[in-house]
This record gives sequence, C-alpha cells and structure tokens, in this order.
Amino acid sequence: MANPAYNEAVVKKFVIASVFWAIVAFLVGVYLAAELAWPQFNLGLSFLNFGRLRPVHTSAGIFAFGGSALIGTSFYVVQRTCRARLFGGEALANFVFWGYQFFIVMAALSYVMGFSKSQEYAEPAWHIDVWLTIVWVAYAVIFVGTLMKREEPHIYVANWFYLAFILTIAVLHVGNNLVIPISVYSANGYSVASGVQNAMIQWWYGHNAVGFFLTAGFLGMMYYFIPKAANRPIYSYRLSVVHFWSLIFLYIWAGPHHLHWTALPDWTQTLGMAFSVMLWMPSWGGMINGLMTLSGAWDKLRTDPGLRFSVTAVGFYGMSTFEGPVMSIRDVNALAHYTDWVIGHVHSGTLGWVAFISFGALYYLVPVLWQRAGLYSTRLASWHYWIATLGIVFYISSMWVAGIMQGLMWRAYDAFGFLQYSFAESVVAVHPYYVIRLIGGLMFLSGGLIMVYNLIQTVRSPVTEQPFAPPAALAVAGE
Amino acid sequence: MFIRHEFIERNAFLLLVLTLVTIAIGGIVEVVPLFTIETTVEHVKGVRPYSPLEQRGRDIYVREGCYLCHSQQIRALRDEVERYGHFSLAAESMYDHPFQWGSKRIGPDLARVGGRYSNDWHYAHLKNAQSVVPESLMPHYAFLAETPLETDDIASRLRALRLVGVPYTDDEIANAAADLATQANPNADNADLLKRYPKAVMMPGNGREVTEMDALVAYLQVLGTMVDFADPANEHIQQ
Amino acid sequence: MDIEPSDLIVGLLMAGLGLIGLILASGAMDNEMYVFGFSLFGFACVFEFGLLRRHFDRLEANRHG
Repeated sequence: MANPAYNEAVVKKFVIASVFWAIVAFLVGVYLAAELAWPQFNLGLSFLNFGRLRPVHTSAGIFAFGGSALIGTSFYVVQRTCRARLFGGEALANFVFWGYQFFIVMAALSYVMGFSKSQEYAEPAWHIDVWLTIVWVAYAVIFVGTLMKREEPHIYVANWFYLAFILTIAVLHVGNNLVIPISVYSANGYSVASGVQNAMIQWWYGHNAVGFFLTAGFLGMMYYFIPKAANRPIYSYRLSVVHFWSLIFLYIWAGPHHLHWTALPDWTQTLGMAFSVMLWMPSWGGMINGLMTLSGAWDKLRTDPGLRFSVTAVGFYGMSTFEGPVMSIRDVNALAHYTDWVIGHVHSGTLGWVAFISFGALYYLVPVLWQRAGLYSTRLASWHYWIATLGIVFYISSMWVAGIMQGLMWRAYDAFGFLQYSFAESVVAVHPYYVIRLIGGLMFLSGGLIMVYNLIQTVRSPVTEQPFAPPAALAVAGE
Repeated sequence: MFIRHEFIERNAFLLLVLTLVTIAIGGIVEVVPLFTIETTVEHVKGVRPYSPLEQRGRDIYVREGCYLCHSQQIRALRDEVERYGHFSLAAESMYDHPFQWGSKRIGPDLARVGGRYSNDWHYAHLKNAQSVVPESLMPHYAFLAETPLETDDIASRLRALRLVGVPYTDDEIANAAADLATQANPNADNADLLKRYPKAVMMPGNGREVTEMDALVAYLQVLGTMVDFADPANEHIQQ
Repeated sequence: MDIEPSDLIVGLLMAGLGLIGLILASGAMDNEMYVFGFSLFGFACVFEFGLLRRHFDRLEANRHG
C-alpha cells in the first residue's frame, strides 16, 4: 500500500518525466556534438541546425531533466521531513506537474521554429516566460505551504536549500526576462535592458541559474538522499548552517566572471572575480559535509551503486567548484573565455555533479515509490556507473585540451611578431577532440539507457516485489 | 549564534524573508550602479539606432542563435585587438536589445566584421560556408535567401524599441517601411536614408522582394563601423 | 455535490488560462503564437477533463468504499 499520508503520485510523475527528459537531453547533446565534428549533420535544415538546436539541449538538460528531478524530489523530501501532506491538494500538484511539462514542450518547439530570444538559459519568448512564472508561483505556494503546515517543528536543512532555490530562481527569472513584446499577439519582443547593463543582468541571472538551479537545489537533494542511502546523519549541523548562508550570499556576486576583459566596468569585474574565488570555500564546505557523512559507511559504496553515484557526484562537485574559481581569475580567464575549456567545465558540473546526484536519487526513489524490495539489477546500475564515469572523463579531458589549445593558438605570435594562426586553423586543430567528446557523450547516453531499462524492469518485474506490505504508519521525524 | 539559528529553523516565514534579503544584496550592488554611473556607457560619437533593414537583420541573427558560435565583443587584450580591431566599447552595444556579446567562439568574433567582406562574400558564406571557408563548421542558411522578409510589423517593432529606450524619431518610424525598401534597392534614391542612418550599407536586389538574407547581411555590414576610431577625439575614451 | 476547494480554484484558473490561449491564437501575428495559444487551450481542456474525471472517480469510490 502506498503511504496515504503523502502525495506520492506527483513525485512518481516527476521521476518518470526526469528520466525521459534526461534521455532527450543526452540525445540532443550527442547530435550537437556530431554537428560540431561533421557540419554535414546540420542537413541544411533550419529546424535542425546548431543555432536552433543548442537551446533545446540546454533547456532539456537544465529545466526538463534537472527541473523535473528537483521539483519531484523537493515534493518527496518536504513531505517526509515535515511530516505533512503537500499543501494545495491534488489539483494544484497536478497543475505544477503538467504545467511544467507544457512549459518544456512549448519552449523546445519555439526554439526550432525560430523564436529564441537568445539570452543563455533564458531563451524562451515572453509568453512562455509568463507561463513559467504562473507554474513557478504555484510550485512556491505548494512548497512554502507545506513548510508552514508542518508537524515537525524544525525545518530540515535540505528544505533550506530547496527554498532558496525556489525563491531565487523566481527573482532571477523575472529580473532577466523583462521584455516588451511588439504586440500581445506576437511572440517577438525586445529586452528592456540593452548593451552592458543587459550583459550584467544576464550573467547575474546566468551564473545563478547555475548557483541556485544546478547547485542549491541539488544540494537539497544531496542533504536528504545521501544520509538516507548511507543510513548515517549529516556530518555536521554547524557546517550546514555556515555552508547554507555563505553559499547563497556569495553566489549571487559571481556573475561578472563571465564578462572579464569586456566592456563591463573594471570595478564590476573585480567584484565578480573576488567573490567567485571566495565562493570556493562554502562550496567545499558543502562537499566535505556530504562526503564525511559516509564516515563509518564507506563499505556501502561497494554494494550500493546508487550511493556510489551520489558520492561521486559530490567529488565532481568539489572539482567543478575549484575549477570555476580558478577560471574566474582575470588572467586565467583571458585564456579560457570563448574556448572549449568553458564547455568542459560546464559538463564536469552538469554530468558529474547534477546528473550523477540525480541518478543517485532516482535509484533510491524508484524502489521506494513503487514499493519494490530493491532495484531490478545492481549489476546494471554498476555498469551504468562505470560507462558514464568513463564518458565524463573522455568529455572533459578532450574539452580541456581543445580549450587550452584554442586559447594558446589565438594568442600565439610568430618570430616576426605577427599572429601565428588564423582562426580557421584553430577550428581544424580541435576537430579530433570534438570526435572524442562525441564518444564521451555517446557513452554517457548509453549509461542513461541502461538506467532506463533497469528502472522500467524494477517497476514491472515480479522479481522485485516487496515480500510483504509495511504498516501504513506516518514516517518518523527526519524520515 | 546557533541558538538563534534554531529559531530561524522553526519559523518558515523568517527563513523565507532572510533568504530573500541575503540573495538580493549582490544583484543590487552589481546591477544598479551600471545604470546610475553615467560613464558606464562611454560618451562617444557615431553610435546610432539600427536602420529598419539592419534591425530586421538583427532580429534574424537573434532568433537563429548566431551568438552561440560568434561573439560580438573584442576584449581589451593585445592579440585580440590585433586580430579583430579596436576593443569593443559599451557604447557600441547600447542600442542592442538584447546584447549579443556571446560567450563562445566556434566561429570568429563579429564585432567589427562590417566592411571586412563584400556583400557577395556574405551571401555565399551564409548559403554555404564551406564554399568560402572549407574548414568551417557553420550550418547552411540558404533558406534565408528563399524566405521573403516580413515587413508589415516594422513600425510596431521600432515603436517597441523606442519604448525600451532606442531614440527612434517620429520621422524615422513614419518612414520605416520606405527606408527598409530603399536600403534593399541599389537604384533607389538613398539620400534621406543615409541622413537618418549614416553608414548604412545598400543591399543588392530588385527592390521588389526583400529576403531575410538581405536583412541579415545589412546588419552584418554595419557591425563595428559606427564609431570612427581614427578620429583623435576618440583616442582616450574612458569608462 | 462536495467539490474540493483545491479542485475548484485550480479548475477556474485553468479555464481562464485556456480562454486566454484561445484569445492569443485568435489574433496571432506569427506561427509561434498560433501554436502556443491553441496548445494552451487544448492543454486546459484536457486538464479540466482530468479534474472532472478525478472528482467523479472519488465520488464513486466513496459510494462503493
């Protein structure tokens, strides 16, 4: 029997959606990688070319896959840690689920039809942004409402992070998407801000889409699913407190590191750099908190592949949150900006941290939600882990080499004092690394497909049925 | 201090308010002064709103996601200035709604591509990039040459741009459709057009059917040309 | 008939949004607005159907339960 005290139906929907969109995101990513290795893959078609297809990939990865995983797990975690059913009833929860899926489909369709407004991770046209705002308000109402009706007096740390994610994304979304449409009946419009101010607002938004959507939200996931899977408490309460407040305060300032050496004023660039470097500390505080939770339970990594994903995710998180501050230093950035090193950095974070922590949560949640004794096959989950990890290694190392090579070639001078390489020569030089990146992406996709098979079999196979139904009692504090 | 944190954890509304206050600070400090410090956008002569045809070309540049492969921002770095020209000023993108500085160079920077190549080169390159640059990774945009440009809404577009701060005059809005047609017809009398939009580049065509490609090339040909860096008045521009 | 307040509020909201979708599609200046407007209307219809179905399923389950 499903636990009648909690709304698990909506969580199940989001779990299924996030697995589906993960495969879509990986597939489109692989196709884009093929287009960059062999431009014939663009096929001369307007709706398949790199420029129109890239936002489909980024939106699918961040908002469709990541967003569904975040909303679904946040609904699961907030109910269990508050010992309260979701606020707003079944109808509102279903509205958030279907409304969010509608947003995803409409956004992707609009890009291939030629209606991107071309601000990174904020590509949807104004009317789709308005729709997302409506859905997001409903989501916030459910989450905050559930916190307010909680039976458990303390709000668990995972919920601080989910709350910060929900609130900050709302502020960022509205702040960066102010557009005057040419008519209410037209999808086209013009941003209220322009030039350098638009650039600053865009990267205030863009870096914090990373900081709050891809980091704070998934830290919420980490703070629940790692202790749950390891059956250990979080390493340090005090560290959680310091981690939370310092992270959410410092992250917001990091935006200007996307604009080093540009027409953004020097004072803004310096602020961005300084805060980006400082940000290394709360990030590693979080990493330490997550990893040290495994104290006394490290042996579980051998037997629980889901936990292995989550812990590896925290390792990649540490790596990316060291690389980021290093790349934020102006003189490093002078080499790195505009190169594939940035792409490598992004994917070590998105594949290594975001995707892996999501896989860990999914491998935990599916058996629990569908009342199965365990996964259909831990061996398959292990295969997924190793293939995906190897894929990430191929991806990021090929992009490091390509990126640094590009940066060095663009700034190389010959013995006569002329620029040594034409731009086109740098394009030719990175081709082999684009092929290796494609292979890495294919491996990551294959791992994802193995996961899909494993999860479907977990739900459908009689082999995994629970031996008996547990008593339908309320979960205890901290469940 | 930790006794008080437990107090925050027992109060959802307090947690919410404190979180909102905490995340608001950085944004306010970094964004607001860019609007209030006057010299953020340098005082330099030459920058003007885009002509109707150029603006339509820009709309196409934006919707196709060209910024994903091409940056439009030359950094204040020696090798970059040598390769692409004078580093980009904030003033040069002041009428860019949205900005298209870009964050990746799969193709070269376009901030000063205006006037570098002939119109014919651009048409050939957009239709099939590999025909002029064999190593290019660029997709083919031949469909732009086959798509007639939508011109019914040109006045609404300029009016919307005026609403967000681009100083189009009533005269310019009234003549929007005419100016668009003039710029796409080399045989037309373009004196008024050039008075309203100095340095606008004429596009080849019969003046009857303006295509999306005409608009895009008109936009590309004006990029980076507005400010005259040879003018000694522009030697020491400071933010 | 006992209607859940949640169902009623969300139902009314969705109906309003569906109507807005139809209005947007009616004056659409580009393909995107057409597609969005009609899709929103269709989504609202299907969602309302779902709300009604759940309501009556619940009523029937209570009667037989």
